[in-house]
Amino acid sequence: MRKRFSMEILCAGIGGRGVLLASTLLLDSAIRKGIYGIGSDEYGMSQRGGSVVSLVKVGDVKSPLIGKGKADVILGFEESEFLRNLSYAKRGGIGIVNTPKKALNSTLQDLLEKRGVSLYLLDADDIARREGLYQASNMAVLGFFSSLGIEPFTFENLRDSICDRLKGKMLEKNLKIFEKGFEKGRERRG
Amino acid sequence: MRELMIGNYAIARGLVEAKVEIAAAYPGTPSSEILPGIIEFAKRENLDVHCEWSVNEKVAFEAAFGAALYGKKAACMMKQVGLNVAFPSFFESLEREIRGGLLLVSCDDPGPLSSQTEQDTRMVCSLLGVTVLDPSSPSEAADCAYYGLLLSKKLGKPVVLRPTHRVSHSREAVRLYHLGKRKVRLKEGLVGKGSFKGFGIVASGTSYSVVMDVLSELGLKRDIPVFKVIKVHPLNDKVFQFRDSLERVIVFEETDAVIEARLNLKGKVYGRLNGILPDAGELSYDIIRKAVIEMCHLSGLKVKYEEEREVDEVLGKIHLPLRPPKLCSGCPHRATFYAMKRACPDAIFPGDIGCYTLGISLGAVDVFVDMGGSVNLASGFDSVFKKEGRDIPILASVGDSTFFHACLPEIYDAARKKRKFVLVIMDNNITAMTGMQPTPQTGLTADGKRTNSISLEATLSALGVKNVKVVDPYEIPTLVETIKNSLSNFEAEDGPFVIIARRECLLHKKKKWERDIELDEICTGCKRCLKDFDCPSMEFDEDKKRIRINRDLCVGCGCCLFVCPQFSKTKKKVE
Repeated sequence: MRKRFSMEILCAGIGGRGVLLASTLLLDSAIRKGIYGIGSDEYGMSQRGGSVVSLVKVGDVKSPLIGKGKADVILGFEESEFLRNLSYAKRGGIGIVNTPKKALNSTLQDLLEKRGVSLYLLDADDIARREGLYQASNMAVLGFFSSLGIEPFTFENLRDSICDRLKGKMLEKNLKIFEKGFEKGRERRG
Repeated sequence: MRELMIGNYAIARGLVEAKVEIAAAYPGTPSSEILPGIIEFAKRENLDVHCEWSVNEKVAFEAAFGAALYGKKAACMMKQVGLNVAFPSFFESLEREIRGGLLLVSCDDPGPLSSQTEQDTRMVCSLLGVTVLDPSSPSEAADCAYYGLLLSKKLGKPVVLRPTHRVSHSREAVRLYHLGKRKVRLKEGLVGKGSFKGFGIVASGTSYSVVMDVLSELGLKRDIPVFKVIKVHPLNDKVFQFRDSLERVIVFEETDAVIEARLNLKGKVYGRLNGILPDAGELSYDIIRKAVIEMCHLSGLKVKYEEEREVDEVLGKIHLPLRPPKLCSGCPHRATFYAMKRACPDAIFPGDIGCYTLGISLGAVDVFVDMGGSVNLASGFDSVFKKEGRDIPILASVGDSTFFHACLPEIYDAARKKRKFVLVIMDNNITAMTGMQPTPQTGLTADGKRTNSISLEATLSALGVKNVKVVDPYEIPTLVETIKNSLSNFEAEDGPFVIIARRECLLHKKKKWERDIELDEICTGCKRCLKDFDCPSMEFDEDKKRIRINRDLCVGCGCCLFVCPQFSKTKKKVE
């Protein structure tokens, strides 16, 4: 019998800043590998600069919703939105957050350590700004995530998804930012 | 072949595969993407489908109903509160025999996330005896759309498809079929082989999918029997047998207790009516998990789960800024609201439904009800103030799309009765909130062809409005003067004044001015701009105690310069 497999990713950020594109690319990557995937987005009012959460679940799952303590990965495209959703992270999960800081609140950081959550801080805005496309910091976060090599969200697979979704100059810049994020991830992990 | 798409596109796909011939809609979250989906798939499949954005839901429903009466396969799409607008014709349509087919897609918004009220389309359908389908995923929504349209043709009656926003806006790889060849796999009834007698679950829609994930997490999939419902009306008889075969049943459904009310037996059926579930709102994963565990305890079934509160407890001590939605940087509505508040801070401000409902946070919307409510509320206030002899200025606001949707008889009525109020129509030439659909003024059809453009000024004049002024909202001082003059120059014979604040939606035009707005240097830290203007590009630098413009977000419109007291002072000095 095939082993049960599932992976739940919560993407948190601000409306109009590419959270939706990021979650779509994650889904694309699963589907390309023949893995079932479902995601849920928020539209409407929330897109006007408000808090936005986009959920991605792949593998043996049915619904697009995630419960507290259930998310394998939390991708924080903005720091306070990352924190707001932190209770969804499961024990032993992964958190990647876009922030210029070198450390988060120490009580919180201790607690995450105690719960076995691997926390990664990344200045994705800075990476994106250097490439002249501030709005594409989502790509740096995805690139960093891909450096962890978790199937089906590998560097090659996510890169192919980006190439399928974007075109021309936008593709070029987004890809560059994605690669920079990946490199940062590799450096960090030695 | 499969393709990743949102539920609304899946519905569109199902309709095109069922060879729909006419589709009419009015945009409203979460339903807005269905019509564009039909246009796209029809083009891809070379199928001739007439698609239109109607001016409101009643028009959309009647256009589709007319086509269905004649023998065509028709669909119309709207959000749940849109069904209220279409209700008179929907109600009447149930009395007629149609020769074609008519699928009404009414998208519900549990929560609500983007509506003024929740409402449950299934409730209305159950009361009126209309067949209503409640899909649990995008793929199932595609099947329901296909099946529903063909079923309607068979029945000679309209059929309703009711997705919630978690279906409409979920993404899933949906299988594509050739036209007329969709293999519909709608499986209702018992799911799995749960044999526990202590309690069972009846579930429909997204709640069904969540229930299955919760049972997996808790390791109860082989224990708890689940009955899945897709057709909420007429309800499958077997669900009553299911209830009768168990000690207890809990019903998970959104948004109201529709199936639960049908099944209800005191002490046996659990759900929203007896308090185990909240009586309104979305059924989140956490709510469903908690209720399943509670049912296990009630029925003496051991379940391993420990609620963890650690993270929430620590987070509770950290200040996280609330991030409510805001009008975009450079949004012309913000300038208009600022001018309205500046011109007459003591006015009463009736508002309307659209992006500009956010005028609440700028103090320029006091009250709103529904689409078109601004004009009628203003009329109501005017008659009371006149009667009581009070002179309170009334300054109402509405967007251009909503004006055409729901304010035409209203403004005519106000003109005829010589109402005394000022209505500001915020005209950005697009339906921005729901994703940039054209308005009657735009002069474009749903599929981007040129058509007649209906002039707002000519419409107002024809409806008896005597005083109409057009102002660019970026000219804040001019707009303030115009509003002040309108409020002070009322003559008894005038009727309402209308000011059209006209400037295109920046989000739509993606416009940006290449200039740096220099507020940082002259700032004294008074925070007036934050309080009165609240632009997303403004941040307060707590170290330097002054404003900082976020250059990544700022579009350079320069409207904030009118707001800064320092800027006007320094400018005066220069002059």
